[in-house]
Amino acid sequence: MAKEPTDVLIGGYLSTEAAHEDYEAVLNCGAEIMGAVVVSKDMEGNLSVEQTDHMVKEGAEGLAGVGFVVGLFAPPLLAATAIGAVIGAGAGKVLHKKTGSKIEEEAGKTIPIGGAGLIVAYKHDHADTIEPAVARAVKKVVGEADGHHVEALKGALADAQKKMAKQGG
Amino acid sequence: MSEPDRSILPIRRETFAGVANRTLDGSRPDWNLIGHPMPPEGAPNVLLVLIDDAGFGNPSTFGGPIQTPNYTRMAEQGLKYNRFHVTALCSPTRAALLTGRNNHAVGFGSVGEFAGGFPGYSASLPRDCAPLPRILRENGYSTAAFGKWHLTPDGQQGPAGPFDRWPNGWGFDYFYGFLAGDSGQWDPCLIENQKVIGTPEGFYDEEDPYYFPDAMADRTLQWLHGVRAQDADKPFFIYFSTGCSHAPHHVSQAWAEKYKGKFDQGWDKLREETFARQKALGVVPADAELTPRADAFPAWDDVPDKLKSFYARQMEVYAGFSENADHNVGRVIDAIEELDELDDTVIIWIWGDNGASMEGTVTGSFNEMTMQNGIPLTDEMQLQLAERFGGMDKWGAQIMDPHYGAAWAWAGNTPFKWGKQVGSHLGGTRNPMVVRWPERITDTGSLRQQFGHVIDIAPTILDLAGIPQPQTVDGIQQEPMHGTSIASTFADANAHEFRTQQYFETIGNRGMYKDGWWLAMKTERIPWVVTPEALKPYAPGVWDPDAGPAELYYLPDDFTQAHDLAADHPDKVQELKDLFWEEAEKYKVLPLLATLSTFFGILPPMAEKTMFEFRGDVQNVLSGMIPRIYNHSYAISADVVVPEGGAEGVIVAESDHLGGFTLYVENGKLTHTYSMMGVFIFKQVAEEDLPSGEITVRMEFAADEAKPATGGEVTLFIDDRPVGKGRMDHTVPIRFSAYAGMDIGRDNGGVVDLAYEDRKPFAFTGTVKKVVFDIKPHLSDQDELGLHTESQRGQAAHSLSG
Repeated sequence: MAKEPTDVLIGGYLSTEAAHEDYEAVLNCGAEIMGAVVVSKDMEGNLSVEQTDHMVKEGAEGLAGVGFVVGLFAPPLLAATAIGAVIGAGAGKVLHKKTGSKIEEEAGKTIPIGGAGLIVAYKHDHADTIEPAVARAVKKVVGEADGHHVEALKGALADAQKKMAKQGG
Repeated sequence: MSEPDRSILPIRRETFAGVANRTLDGSRPDWNLIGHPMPPEGAPNVLLVLIDDAGFGNPSTFGGPIQTPNYTRMAEQGLKYNRFHVTALCSPTRAALLTGRNNHAVGFGSVGEFAGGFPGYSASLPRDCAPLPRILRENGYSTAAFGKWHLTPDGQQGPAGPFDRWPNGWGFDYFYGFLAGDSGQWDPCLIENQKVIGTPEGFYDEEDPYYFPDAMADRTLQWLHGVRAQDADKPFFIYFSTGCSHAPHHVSQAWAEKYKGKFDQGWDKLREETFARQKALGVVPADAELTPRADAFPAWDDVPDKLKSFYARQMEVYAGFSENADHNVGRVIDAIEELDELDDTVIIWIWGDNGASMEGTVTGSFNEMTMQNGIPLTDEMQLQLAERFGGMDKWGAQIMDPHYGAAWAWAGNTPFKWGKQVGSHLGGTRNPMVVRWPERITDTGSLRQQFGHVIDIAPTILDLAGIPQPQTVDGIQQEPMHGTSIASTFADANAHEFRTQQYFETIGNRGMYKDGWWLAMKTERIPWVVTPEALKPYAPGVWDPDAGPAELYYLPDDFTQAHDLAADHPDKVQELKDLFWEEAEKYKVLPLLATLSTFFGILPPMAEKTMFEFRGDVQNVLSGMIPRIYNHSYAISADVVVPEGGAEGVIVAESDHLGGFTLYVENGKLTHTYSMMGVFIFKQVAEEDLPSGEITVRMEFAADEAKPATGGEVTLFIDDRPVGKGRMDHTVPIRFSAYAGMDIGRDNGGVVDLAYEDRKPFAFTGTVKKVVFDIKPHLSDQDELGLHTESQRGQAAHSLSG
């Protein structure tokens, strides 16, 4: 019997409030999630990371080394001022408590001041509940992969990363 | 003293009528020699009030939702004019108002900052068109202007002048306000007479912060009391030109809260409510029809529920801001009344200079400059950026420079179509006017319906003062004013139509009025879209202005322009088209779209200066005067002296956290912060401490490419030694700020990096001896020309929001 695919959703935000709103919405949407993490940087450049315990349970330390991209793209009003508006090219090693310091290290480099990113991992069956809960992301992508926990998470995250980069310009 | 010849200004001095012998023996003085010109007997005081970026359907006096008790008080004691017209753009209306001449004819086809190479767009007042304040001053009035000016080109707004293009040069004895098209109301960079005085000290008072609208009224009272302390009789002319209701919409929560929940019904319903009140008040005829919503504006019902409160708050703040303007005009009126001079004062109060502004785009913006820099943001993004700076409760605070969404402006222009920039339609050209003067107005509280125009105000004031238009000023033969006095309407509601014909033109949008008929020729460009793509149809050799859409209205039967009669009256359409061209030629309107010539390859010469040196503590360099580092590689270096024990503070900073840069020292580390309009913020910190002694620090930006908003690499140096680096993915392509200035040795006003906000202005504790900007050219001339083109286009786009 084939394993159920794993999804990883990445959302990009221009405010920490919006990211936390979606984070809470995901946690309270009733669906089972494998984990969620929200990384934000305030206007003075201070980084904060909040994540669910689920991540630990999933034993996802193998994700170290897989980055993510939190971005948004907006077509220019003035073509003359074409702005490939990528907000951050974040990299995170996100899914294990032990790697918390790495999250901060990586996200500190890449999450823009005032910006935030949200990553949610879940079994594909829950997508219809979880994806609408992420309502405020100014950019949102979902990656998908099959396989065992760590392998699937890595694959899904990489897929999401690729999609985000493609949109992010 | 004999009545002087007022047709030649300055008035010639009295001829000596005494006797001057070799000694005092037999000599007889003539004391008239030491007098000064006085206005004709009975010349009244004049208070001329102009509100900014507001529409026909804004003030409650004309049926709008914004409470304007002082405007209503003046209307009840005076007259309301419901067919009064402006030019659909800021500086053009001001130029016409203060000269009595059509705006193009005096060089103001567009806004003041950007002078063009055609006579109608030079932003330079011709010397044969002496303005009203100069005429009044020469005839013995005390003259003063407070608030927004917007008639001085960029590049001429510093201590080198020339000052004939500043308010004093136009004839105002005193000026307190700002030169630009808009200003922060909490943190303005102010001018007093011929000096940039910067952001007032009160800005730093957190308990009782400075607020420009209040200060405008305070200063007006101070000036007035000073004049009266010296001379009890000399008439005054006060031009009170509010920064309100232009963006940024800055007002305290208390004023905005008065409108809490008042706009939850949305703009479509608001229009209907306003329209009903307008009919009930009689300012709109009973048989008038409400014009429909253009597709460019979203229906309120289509706004996602989760964003409705975001939009509603935008209008609450705008409304509170506007009511505050009414309050402060009321304070000035009260002060005149307290002097027992109210009935000796002609009050002319125009609510709006170009209709309400749609330049906030559909979404509205937390920072008015995002549109002008071409940064497109969805409403969700705008909301999140507002959250970043404190949320919607802070929408009117100094932390943001907000502008509401375009549909609110459209609702503010009820019952008309469109708004600012659209000279072809009444939304951009018809604004309320109230006149109070008991001397001639007896049927108080009445309505006047004659067709008037802003060029009629100066001739009216001269008429009431008994002062003739001068034939020569400074020896220069004068062009007669184009306006006509409206004084005949004061006592007679049925006075003849004093104006039967008037052209309108703003950025290619044209209107031609004659004997009740109005031909409307709007370009198809949406006012807040200024892209090469949108302008392609208007390129030289492509655009035939006569081939575009033309709508015909008969205003006596159709107050709102609801019924297009063009198909039924082709001869009238042609007649008015022909007439427009005649008027356009006569008043220097041509070439059409001169304002946007840069989009079609017609460019001003490229700047040759690439090195800019600032010695000492130069402060408050206005935003249009800073070195144009945009889109280029550049270096900012500073020679500083760091005392033993170190130093901290700002070495050089431009503007604030909503767009700007700062090079500063904190915790011993050289730091560079760059805000790309508050959307992207980049920061680089040196990895080693700043040494003491005389040193040179430098930041270099190496642009990736010759492209607007280019990213690039930043390197920090101490004495040519690299000490830090970082990347800026995006830079500001056009302009950091509409109003905030650049400072050496501190960061005046709002700060660039909020990390030192609690220590503002965070003055450098060492000594800054010199700051040098070196703007490095791109490798090829072609690149430079390309960037010059883009830069000029951007400035042209910026100019539309004046």
